[in-house]
Amino acid sequence: MNLDHIRNFSIIAHIDHGKSTLADQLIRMTETVTEREMREQLLDSMELEREKGVTIKASAVRMIYKHRGEEYEINLIDTPGHVDFSYEVHRALQACEGAVLVVDASQGIQAQTMAHLFAALEQNLTIVPVINKIDLPAAMPDEVAQEIEDLLGVPAEDIPRISAKAGVNVEEVLERVIAEVPPPKGDLDAPVRALVFDCHYDSYKGVIAYVRMVDGVITGLPKLLAMNTGKTMEPLEIGVLVPQMLPVNELHAGQVGYIATGLKSVQDLDVGDTITLAARPATEKLPGYRPLKPMVFAGLYPTNPDDYNELRDALEKLQLNDAALTYEPETSQALGFGFRLGFLGLFHMEIVQERLEREYDMDVIFTAPSVEYRVVKTNGEVIAIDSPAALPDPTEIEHIEEPWCELRIFTPAEYIGPVLDLVTKRRGELKTQNWLDSKRVEIVCLIPLSEIIVDFYNELKARTKGYASMDYTLDQYRPSDMVKLDILVNHQPVDALSIIVHRDQAYHKGQRLVSKMKEIIPRQMFEVPIQAAIGNKIISRANVKALRKDVLAKCYGGDVTRKRKLLEKQKAGKKRMKMVGSVEIPQEAFMSVLSLEEE
Amino acid sequence: MNDLPRLGLYIHIPFCERKCPYCDFNTYAGLEALYQATVEALIAEMARWADPLAGRTISTVFVGGGTPTVLSPRQLEQLFVAVHRTFRVAEDVEITCEANPGAVDREKFAALRALGVNRLSMGVQSFQADELRLLGRIHSAKDARVAYDMARRAGFDNINLDFIFGLPQQSAEAWAQTLEEAISLQPEHLSLYSLIVEPGTPFFHWVNSGKIVAPDEDLAAAFYEMAMERLAQAGYLHYEISNWARRASSTDSESETPHFACRHNLLYWRNEDYLGVGPGAHSHLRTSGNGSYIEQRWGNVRPVRTYVRRTCEGKPLAEFVEDISPPLAMGESMMLGLRLVREGVRQDRFAALHGCSPSQVFENELRRLSAAGLLTLDAERIRLSRRGVLFGNQVFLQFLPEA
Repeated sequence: MNLDHIRNFSIIAHIDHGKSTLADQLIRMTETVTEREMREQLLDSMELEREKGVTIKASAVRMIYKHRGEEYEINLIDTPGHVDFSYEVHRALQACEGAVLVVDASQGIQAQTMAHLFAALEQNLTIVPVINKIDLPAAMPDEVAQEIEDLLGVPAEDIPRISAKAGVNVEEVLERVIAEVPPPKGDLDAPVRALVFDCHYDSYKGVIAYVRMVDGVITGLPKLLAMNTGKTMEPLEIGVLVPQMLPVNELHAGQVGYIATGLKSVQDLDVGDTITLAARPATEKLPGYRPLKPMVFAGLYPTNPDDYNELRDALEKLQLNDAALTYEPETSQALGFGFRLGFLGLFHMEIVQERLEREYDMDVIFTAPSVEYRVVKTNGEVIAIDSPAALPDPTEIEHIEEPWCELRIFTPAEYIGPVLDLVTKRRGELKTQNWLDSKRVEIVCLIPLSEIIVDFYNELKARTKGYASMDYTLDQYRPSDMVKLDILVNHQPVDALSIIVHRDQAYHKGQRLVSKMKEIIPRQMFEVPIQAAIGNKIISRANVKALRKDVLAKCYGGDVTRKRKLLEKQKAGKKRMKMVGSVEIPQEAFMSVLSLEEE
Repeated sequence: MNDLPRLGLYIHIPFCERKCPYCDFNTYAGLEALYQATVEALIAEMARWADPLAGRTISTVFVGGGTPTVLSPRQLEQLFVAVHRTFRVAEDVEITCEANPGAVDREKFAALRALGVNRLSMGVQSFQADELRLLGRIHSAKDARVAYDMARRAGFDNINLDFIFGLPQQSAEAWAQTLEEAISLQPEHLSLYSLIVEPGTPFFHWVNSGKIVAPDEDLAAAFYEMAMERLAQAGYLHYEISNWARRASSTDSESETPHFACRHNLLYWRNEDYLGVGPGAHSHLRTSGNGSYIEQRWGNVRPVRTYVRRTCEGKPLAEFVEDISPPLAMGESMMLGLRLVREGVRQDRFAALHGCSPSQVFENELRRLSAAGLLTLDAERIRLSRRGVLFGNQVFLQFLPEA
């Protein structure tokens, strides 16, 4: 057992800067996977990950590399690339001693590069910067090298310049990792402490914990203990990842591997938890653990109420693999029985929606996302609410507090104006503005979380021709003049369309919502008034004109099949709508709040 | 033998002198060279059915298209001779032929009469010159009046005229005027169709490219109501969503289908059997034998050359065949029968076709729709309400499965 010949590292990069391509090249170069088994984005096993080109779940691979005649065990721990999953990124980084920082030679440092870099520095990791995509026509490796030097103090000329795609200079990355990243420290004789940096559910083996052995040795299959949840486990298997699971008899301090825990649900094991031996437990757990806290909430309903049980089963299964997802039953007058879901962020919500539709073939409606507000009541009680429906009567409210966050935006200097304008429109406050070089600026501002979860990122991209990037962290709660905006369809409030908004924006949003509804709700056999209201006060109104006639003009012998199919299609279309009172409302109406700012 | 159900025969003539830009029927211009071969193929296709349909009686014949009158009197004669030679034809058979006011003459009318055609259907479409131009018709308003008189003089005493309303930018005055002219001719039958811009037609393309404005649906609804009101005053009985028949003195009762209704089309709406021959023609047949019972709908291949070739080679002609399950057949009976706004779906006819009562099979649907004021039902029949006539689709689809 020689810890000197182990290196544990992560690759950190902004999305699309080439993290997965570099990982693929390293795996190929070390012949961890045969050429025949090789495919792109090898570490991203979810269909969605491959399609979106992002990593959602963490993953790991052990590579054996010969360096100056000696064999090294090199563990690459893959990290999710999106801000919603920053907690997972932190845990994955905690399992390493070093991080390879990949920067795109044509784009330079971006918001997520910084976010991940700060996280890596927090963990005292050794940073190995590399400049990727040097073969691109737009590559500016010298400028980017200078940026990195300014940021990290690494001399610009020492930074490897590679093309992961073309395989140029990739070996240099491994050489640097071996030379610069320190070998893991760890006490082989101490009680076992293994950091869980990710886990997933396997239908054959139950919950699989991805672990970094910090202290001690696990030999065979002893009874184990998760120190935070207090759950004991009788493991089925321990092993290393190559990247598929390869059982071994022993995992020792410094190594990265997996434990098939025998647990039935990922809820029983938290990422960040410490696994130890039940018979000889460690006294102190590893630092850094915190329970995942959802920040964005939305209602989820089956389009067809009969599918409620199926939806519940699907959520249960999804949660097996997604510990960050929370849900509880919720009832809506308009949509019937459903669930209130909690997500890490809007991207997380999008992924859950897509997985429900794709993997579970569910037809669902999401309601407008909300953040968690703190309501201070006149009787002194403070309650947390994440749904407009839960807002107490205005007379009982002393004041409402909403979460603010610190938002970091990287943008080319020419877009400072439009970016600041967007921030101001969304009630944000500029904190600082740092010039990265003569062309690029980092804007740091404080902004209500509710303002950035809905359509902010798209708008930012639109205003900067796609060049800006962003990252945010929760800051603090602040008192805010929030009101509940209701939408009435045919004089009936539709609870699923209510939103909590700042009073200053209520009028504008009410108008936009009403005109959007007017576009979306098809003409019915009677006139349908649509109104926006705050309490009893109607602030906007429009009418969907009554349909005058809906009947096929002709139907003769040659038409029967065709006309019947048209009617069958019309019927299927109706079925996809939600009946609210006697009005048919298309599903997209419930999501329309998401795109209010478009025009 | 006589208790086998009667049968309608549809003969499709897929030719026109010019193809109208709104038309999506299976018809072609410029195929004069194929007229004779097609007539021979039609005769050959009918011959295929001589044995399978040996026990059945043809109660109606409808020669449609296209423009059947583009064929020569000789070709028309060949066709009719073949019909009588191939099938058993009822004594009181109704034989309808479509005619284009721009493609007829005295000689052709006389030939049709001589061949036993006793009902004529003319595509007049409008009496407004600008509308006829927009519709790409080859005839003028005057041509239509002349052709109508000529048909009367040839002895046709059962004539239908087709009209289209809801044209782009059509005015209420123009539509009222067309209606008045139509009434003044006193045809036995009128078909009024709200223009539908069908995908794949030049009209569809013109609307999408902004060359013409899309028809205004609200206006079309108003024109439809105008027609219902005016034709009722003028003594026409509204018996199907788009069809009216002139009141034939005392024989027409309030709730039944009038005397001058098109008997062939009634077969469609009553979900009875018909054989369609020709390119793209559709059929609906129930056949039983050896204890088995099948109900099918099928459609022939559409291109004329393919149709002719396959007929010559003795190959199957169907482009699609659909087996109709009993529940689907019941849905079709409702979708079709409710179009008959006077007669409705008769409980006795429904029971005879399906062996069960519609008020039982569709109990929930009927309760809901009559509560919504779209249907009326009594012991004898189920009918659309006046409001239901305007929202027929909303009613029909309730009886059908989802796509």
